[in-house]
Amino acid sequence: MSLSASPSSKKRSYAPHKIAFYIGLVAVWQLVAMSGVWPSNIFPSPYEVGEDLVYGALDGSLLHGFATSMWRLAVGLSISIAGGVALGIVMARREAFNQTVGSLVLGLQSIPSIAWVPLGILWFGLTDAGIIFVIAIGAVFAVTINTYTGVKNIQPHYIEAARNMGATGGRLITDVLIPAAFPYMISGFKQGWAFAWRGVIGAELLFSYLGLGYMLYVGRSLNDISQIIAVMLVIMATGLAVDAVLFKKLELKVMSRWGLR
Amino acid sequence: MAKLEARGITKYFEHESHRLQALGGVNLKVESGDFVCLVGPSGCGKSTFLRIVAGLEKPDGGQILFDGRPVTETGPTRIMVFQEGALFPWLTVRDNVEFGLKVSGIPREKRAEVSERYLDMMQLTKFAGSYTHQLSTGMKQRVAIARALVMDPDVLLMDEPFAALDAQTKDLLLVETQLIWARTKKTIMFVTHNVAEAAVLGTKVAVFSNRPSVVKREIPNDFPRPRVPDDKDLIDFQHEILQELRPEVRKGGGAGASGASKDDADAEGTVAGEEEKKKKKKKKKGGTQ
Repeated sequence: MSLSASPSSKKRSYAPHKIAFYIGLVAVWQLVAMSGVWPSNIFPSPYEVGEDLVYGALDGSLLHGFATSMWRLAVGLSISIAGGVALGIVMARREAFNQTVGSLVLGLQSIPSIAWVPLGILWFGLTDAGIIFVIAIGAVFAVTINTYTGVKNIQPHYIEAARNMGATGGRLITDVLIPAAFPYMISGFKQGWAFAWRGVIGAELLFSYLGLGYMLYVGRSLNDISQIIAVMLVIMATGLAVDAVLFKKLELKVMSRWGLR
Repeated sequence: MAKLEARGITKYFEHESHRLQALGGVNLKVESGDFVCLVGPSGCGKSTFLRIVAGLEKPDGGQILFDGRPVTETGPTRIMVFQEGALFPWLTVRDNVEFGLKVSGIPREKRAEVSERYLDMMQLTKFAGSYTHQLSTGMKQRVAIARALVMDPDVLLMDEPFAALDAQTKDLLLVETQLIWARTKKTIMFVTHNVAEAAVLGTKVAVFSNRPSVVKREIPNDFPRPRVPDDKDLIDFQHEILQELRPEVRKGGGAGASGASKDDADAEGTVAGEEEKKKKKKKKKGGTQ
């Protein structure tokens, strides 16, 4: 996704520009590295970083780190989606709950995930559970707030028609509130994912217990800058891929169904 | 015993910090199989009355008796067709039509069988797999009617369902609504501000007074069917309804929530009124694009 994405009908393709830009960037990087201004252990060349990426891929360490981080993220994000959707719906439907718990949610939402790390360590120890706690609590409130907004913005006629046809309680939630609020909820999931992804890397750095974040920590301990950059590239690529593939597809599907594009 | 009886229904609204009485004790009896059209000046509370009958709103006084029992909640015995259809945009036409059956726990095969019948009746079979945004306004109202009929309600409540339609589509649906009524023997309550619609459709026209509204007069309507709006005798009948309505619209001047000139035009079913509505619609559309 490019920052300049415009809905104009005749879109010019900037693919050649992009390719040229990245080739140029790598070339400049290589030139600076070769100039010898900084020693290669401080400023590694793209070739060295590439080598580390290949080694990491071949010996399985990158894949293992990636899989570990993704597994934690999947569990943590699932918890925050389940909890956030439930919390958001109750907040939207019960004003007393919104005024009390809802106000606390707003406050908690402003705490960065990483600030939960000390509690995670003290409550759960240096374990997966501790990291998952940090991910889940860092992402849950974004999901909550977007779900709340989504349910609040449902056309009253939808709910009235559904109740009139006999939908009550759980049926009303699963068959009307959630699908009607879904376009908003997707934004919540996207934000939740972004917080969770930042959260998992940060937590692993501090917990020093496997995963991509831990690999960054190891790279720092060993002064292995090219490994650090290699891992950072994997983190960046994963972020882009999830955004562009998973969420983009989901969004397009929902938007076209609703006739929003 | 009447199928449905309203006894002294009153309703108040808060409007800019003062209390407005919308309904001033509405009494109305609807027998099984009746097709009652409720007409009245805009903002007189006839739609609110319908929502109270549906159980979607609570009256401040009085009660609705349905088969002799007081109505306390909404439910599928009295199904509402909303002005804009209130179709679910996340469901296909078929799933919209089956919605009520699904929530009442009817198994899938049975649902498909029933929905097929009503999709066919409303000439929607071709569009069964479409999403609602792909349909014209007229098609949407057909879906809304099919979705209501599928529930086999004792009473069908229609809240200005044709107000947003163009003239040709409306004429077609006026004919079809009569056929549906004749075929299904449903009890129907139909809110409209258009006297031509009321004259064409109803077995009885209940004229609402201006706020606080009561049913000012009930006019039986036994013209032979099928009726068309431009039938000469029916036009005389429309004038009779208008005679009742006109003083109410006048009284509403200034006090109405929406402009008095619009009320007048609408109540008389004039071209000017239609034009203004269309303009409004267009504006609305423009805003969302």
